[in-house]
Amino acid sequence: MSFAVNRDGFDRVIRGAMSFVLVQVIVGGLLLGAVYALFSSGLTLVWGMMNVVNFAHGDFVMLGMYVAYVVYTLLGGGPLLGAPLATLLLATLGIVVYFALIRDIMKGPMLAQILGTFGLALLLRYSVFWWFGANFQTLPESLVGGTFDIFGIRIQASRLLAGGVALLVTLGLHLLLTRTSLGSKMLAVAEDSTAAQLMGIRPDSMQAVAWAIAAGATGLAGALIANFFYIVPTVGETLGIVAFVTVSLGGFGSVPGALVAGLLIGVIESLSGYLIGAIYKDIVVYTLFLGFLWFRPQGLMGKM
Amino acid sequence: MRRAIWLLLALALVVAYPLVFTTPFQQRLGALILLYAIAASAWNIVGGYAGQVSVGHVVFFGCGAYASMAAYSHFALPPLVGIPAGIVASVAIAAVIGVPTLRLSGHYFSMATIAVAELARLIVTNTEYLGAAVGLSGPTVPRTVFDLSFISALPYYYLFLTVLLITLGITWWMTNSRMGFYLRAIRDSERAARSLGAPASRVKLYAFMLSAGLTSIAGALYSMMFGFVDPESGLGLLISVKMLIMAALGGAGLLFGPLVGAAILVPLEEISNNLLGGKGAGLTYVVYGAIIVLIARFQPGGILALINRLWAKRKPAEAPVAQRAPHAS
Amino acid sequence: MKFKHIVGLLSAAAMSVALAGTASAQDKTVKIGAVFPLSGNAASAGVHAKAALEVAMDIVNNAHPELGNFPLAKGAGLAGLGGAKVDVVFADNQGSPATGQNQTLRLITEEKVVALTGAYQSGITLTASAIAEKYGIPFVNGESVAANLTERGFKWFFRVTPVASDFAKIYYEFLQDMKASGAKTDNVAVVHDNTEYGTSVASVITSAFKEKGQSIALDIAYAVNATDVQSQVLQLKEKKPDVVIMIAYAPDAILYAKTMQALDYKPPMIIADDSGYSDPSFIKAVGKISQGAFNRSSWSVGAPGSATAIIADMYKKKSGDEMDDTAARQMQGFFVLCEAIDRAGSTEPAKIQAALKATDLKPDQLMMGYKGVKFDDKGQNILAAGLMIQLQDGENYVAVWPKARAEKAPIMPYKGW
Repeated sequence: MSFAVNRDGFDRVIRGAMSFVLVQVIVGGLLLGAVYALFSSGLTLVWGMMNVVNFAHGDFVMLGMYVAYVVYTLLGGGPLLGAPLATLLLATLGIVVYFALIRDIMKGPMLAQILGTFGLALLLRYSVFWWFGANFQTLPESLVGGTFDIFGIRIQASRLLAGGVALLVTLGLHLLLTRTSLGSKMLAVAEDSTAAQLMGIRPDSMQAVAWAIAAGATGLAGALIANFFYIVPTVGETLGIVAFVTVSLGGFGSVPGALVAGLLIGVIESLSGYLIGAIYKDIVVYTLFLGFLWFRPQGLMGKM
Repeated sequence: MRRAIWLLLALALVVAYPLVFTTPFQQRLGALILLYAIAASAWNIVGGYAGQVSVGHVVFFGCGAYASMAAYSHFALPPLVGIPAGIVASVAIAAVIGVPTLRLSGHYFSMATIAVAELARLIVTNTEYLGAAVGLSGPTVPRTVFDLSFISALPYYYLFLTVLLITLGITWWMTNSRMGFYLRAIRDSERAARSLGAPASRVKLYAFMLSAGLTSIAGALYSMMFGFVDPESGLGLLISVKMLIMAALGGAGLLFGPLVGAAILVPLEEISNNLLGGKGAGLTYVVYGAIIVLIARFQPGGILALINRLWAKRKPAEAPVAQRAPHAS
Repeated sequence: MKFKHIVGLLSAAAMSVALAGTASAQDKTVKIGAVFPLSGNAASAGVHAKAALEVAMDIVNNAHPELGNFPLAKGAGLAGLGGAKVDVVFADNQGSPATGQNQTLRLITEEKVVALTGAYQSGITLTASAIAEKYGIPFVNGESVAANLTERGFKWFFRVTPVASDFAKIYYEFLQDMKASGAKTDNVAVVHDNTEYGTSVASVITSAFKEKGQSIALDIAYAVNATDVQSQVLQLKEKKPDVVIMIAYAPDAILYAKTMQALDYKPPMIIADDSGYSDPSFIKAVGKISQGAFNRSSWSVGAPGSATAIIADMYKKKSGDEMDDTAARQMQGFFVLCEAIDRAGSTEPAKIQAALKATDLKPDQLMMGYKGVKFDDKGQNILAAGLMIQLQDGENYVAVWPKARAEKAPIMPYKGW
C-alpha cells in the first residue's frame, strides 16, 4: 500500500466532466453532507450559544438511533413515530442533563466541560451497551422505501428524507433564533447573560431551553440516520468527531454555517473518495479543515 | 519549611510504594500511573499553565513512540536511541503548527489540534515505513539492558519516577521563571498581557514546544514498556483526552495536579475493569464515566484544588496564596 | 504552590492495593485466562467469543455423551487431571494493546491462570502473548490472522487458525475451479479496509495470486468505520470486475451491502473474507440482500444430530445468535488447549507447552473443518484449512467447495436481492 495517488483519478476527472458517475458522486456527497449538517446543528447551537464543548454529542445521536430502533422492534413503527418520539425523549434528557450537570460545568473552565461531557459520553454509551448489548442492529430498508432513480441518479429514500429534514431543521432553528422572541432572548443570554438578566430574562431557563432544543434536534437526527446506518452503542465516537469538524468549520453558533460546512465536507469527502481513494478522503478533509482554520479562524459563517 | 517536609514525606512514600506493594500487577499499576502522570504533566505546561487546551497532544506522544519503535524495527538499535529523534520531531511539529494554531482562540485552537493529531494518525496508518495499520514492534527478547524490555515492572517504576521528577522539575523551574510569569498573565487575560508588553505569541510557542518534547518522551517510554505501537494506541484521540482529563481532574495549572489525576483515574479504570470488565456488560465504563461526571460536577477545579482549599481552611495563618483554576480562554 | 497530594496518593494506593489482588487457590480447578474485547468497537466479536468459550467450558466440565467421540465431551472435567474442572477467567482488553497486556499480566500473576487464550485483534494478541512469553505461560490463539504473530521466535505461542496465506490459496483454487465450470474469473477486485486485518490479508492475496500469474485488477482501500462507501461502490460499478473480494468488518460490510443495493450494483461474484460477512448482525441486517455471497469458513453446522450441529445449538441458546466462523475458531482454539492440558496431566506450564507441541488431532476430533491440528516449530497449525460457503437463502451459509465437503452446489451468478 504505497502512498501514491491513484493515477486513474486524473483520467476520471477529464472524462468526469461529461461523466454521469461524477454527478452521482456529487449528489451522494450532498446527501451525506446534509446528514452531517443534521446532526451537527444541535451541537453548534450549544457550542455557540452556551460555549459548552459537548463530548457526549455523538452519544446523543446514538440515543436517537436507539429510540428509532426500539420503536421499530417493539411497535413496528417507522420514522413517522420514531422521529418525533426521539425528539421528545432526547429533549427531555437534555433538560435533565442540563440541570444535573451542564449548568454547573458551564461556569467552570473549558477543561471541566470536556471532563464532564466525556464522562457523560462514557456513561450514556455503556449504559446503552449494558442494556442492548454489543450487536450491530439495522432497520430494514423497507421502512423508508427503497431507492429513487432520477434520470439515472440513484438516491436512497431514507437519505433523501434525512437530507430534507436537515434543510427544514436548519431553516427552523435559524428562524427561531432570528425571528422569534424566544430566539432573541436566547441570543441575548448568549451575548451577555448579566445584561440579559437585567432585562428580565432568566438565563437559566433560556439555556435549559437552548440545550433542550439542541438535544431534541440531535435525537431527531439520530432517528432518521438509523434508517440507513448501523446502530451500535459505540457509533457516537465516529459521529461525534464529524460533528465537531462540521461545527467548527461552519463557525461555532452558526446554524446556517453548519449546513454549508456539512454540505461542503460531504461533497469533498465523496469526491476525494472517488478520485483519489477512500483511504485518503479523511486526510483531504482534515487538511482543508486545518488550512481553513488557519486562514479564517472564525469558520465559514461564525461571528468573532 | 513545612512544605518541604511534606514534599519529602510524599516522595519517600512514592519511592517506597513498589517495595511495599510487591505483586507484579500492583507494581505495573504504579508504573502506569507514573507514565500517564508524565504525559499529563507535560500537557499541563501548555494546557494548564498557558491555558491553551490542546486536544491533539497525542501527536507528540506518537512521535516519541514511533521514533523508538522505528529505531528498533528499521535499524536494530535500542529503542532508547529513538528518544532524541522523537523529541526533535515533536518539537519541530510543535514549532511548525504552533505558529498558525496558537493564534486561534479557545475552541478553535482545540479543534485545530484535534485536526493535526487525526491527520498524523491517518497519514501514519497509510505509511508502510511506519508499519501502516499493523504498527511497529519493539524487541521481543531484550538484547541488552538498554533495550529497556523488562519482565518486572520495578525498573520501569523507578525509571518513570525519575523522568516524572525531571518533568516536574522543569515545570517548576519554568513557572518560577519569567516565562512562567508571562504565561500566568496570558492565561488570565491575553489582551491585557499583550498590552503590557508580554511577548505572548513567543511565550506560548515556547511553552508548546517544551510541552511537545516532554510528551514525546512519555510516548517513547510507553512504547518501550509495551513493546508495540500502532496508529490507535500511539496516535489515537483517546490518549489526548486521557492526558487532558487527568490533568483536569487532578488540577490543571497545579504542579502536582496531573499526578493526582493519574493516581485517581488509572487505578479507577484498571480496578473497574478487573472487577467488572470480564462480565462483558460494559459496566466498567458506566462506573468510570459516572465517577468522572461526579467529579466534574462537584469539583470542576480538580481534586488537588479541593485538597488545597480544605488545607487552607484548616490553617488560615499559614494559608498559601490561592491559585485560581485556569479560565476558559 | 501547595501539594497536599499525599492524601490523594495514599488513597489511590490504598484503593489499588485493597482491590487489586484476588489470587485464589483451588487445586481442583484449572484456571484458563481469556482476554477479549468486551467493550469498544470490537465488543460484538468479544462478547460472542465469551459465549463460545462458556459453551466450551460446559462441554468440558459436564458429561455430554450426545457429542460422541468429541474430545473431552464424554466425561465431566479433565480426565487426565482426575476430573478437575476448567474455569475460564475473562478479562476485557478494551480494544487497547496496553490494556490487553495489563490484563494478561493480572491473569497470570493474580489469578494464576495456567494458560491463556485470546485476544481477537492481532495487535492485542501481539502484546498479550509477549507478556505470556516472558512469564512462560502457554498462549493459544484461535482467530488472529496477522502473519507476524508466529514470526517472533516465541516458544509459548500457538495459533490454531489458518492464516491469510491459507485463505489466499483457498480463494485461488476455488476461482480456478469456478473458471473450469464456466465462470469468468479473470478480473478480480479486492476491497479492504486499512486496518491490520484488511491490509495484511489484501496484500497476501495480491502476492499469492501474482505468484500464480494472475494480477489483481482493482485494489480499493477504504478507511475503517466508514460513514459512506458510495464512491467505492461506484468505482466497482464502473470497472465491472468479475469477482469482488470483500475484506471488511461487520459495520462496513453492512454499509457496503446496503450501498450496493441502493446503487443497484451486483457483481457477478462476491467472495467475502469471513469477519464482516460472517457476523450474525450482518446476516440479520442485510443477509436477504446479499444472497449468493461466497465466504470462506472453516466452520459449517453439518448434518442435524452431528456434534457440530449440537454445539451450534448450544451456542445459539447461550448467545442468541447463530454460530459464526470466528466464534467457532475461538472455541476450537480453546478445545485444543484443554485437550493438551488433559494430555499433559498436569497444570505445570512447561508440561502443557510440551503437550501442545505434541498435539496431533485428527479431523474427526475437531469441530472445525481443518485437516487436523499439528503445530510447526513457529507455533502455527500447519493443518489448518478452510472451505468455501455460500449464503444461498439469505439466512444460512452452506458449504459449497471443495466438492468433497460440499453440502450443495455453488449457485452462480451472485443474486443479491
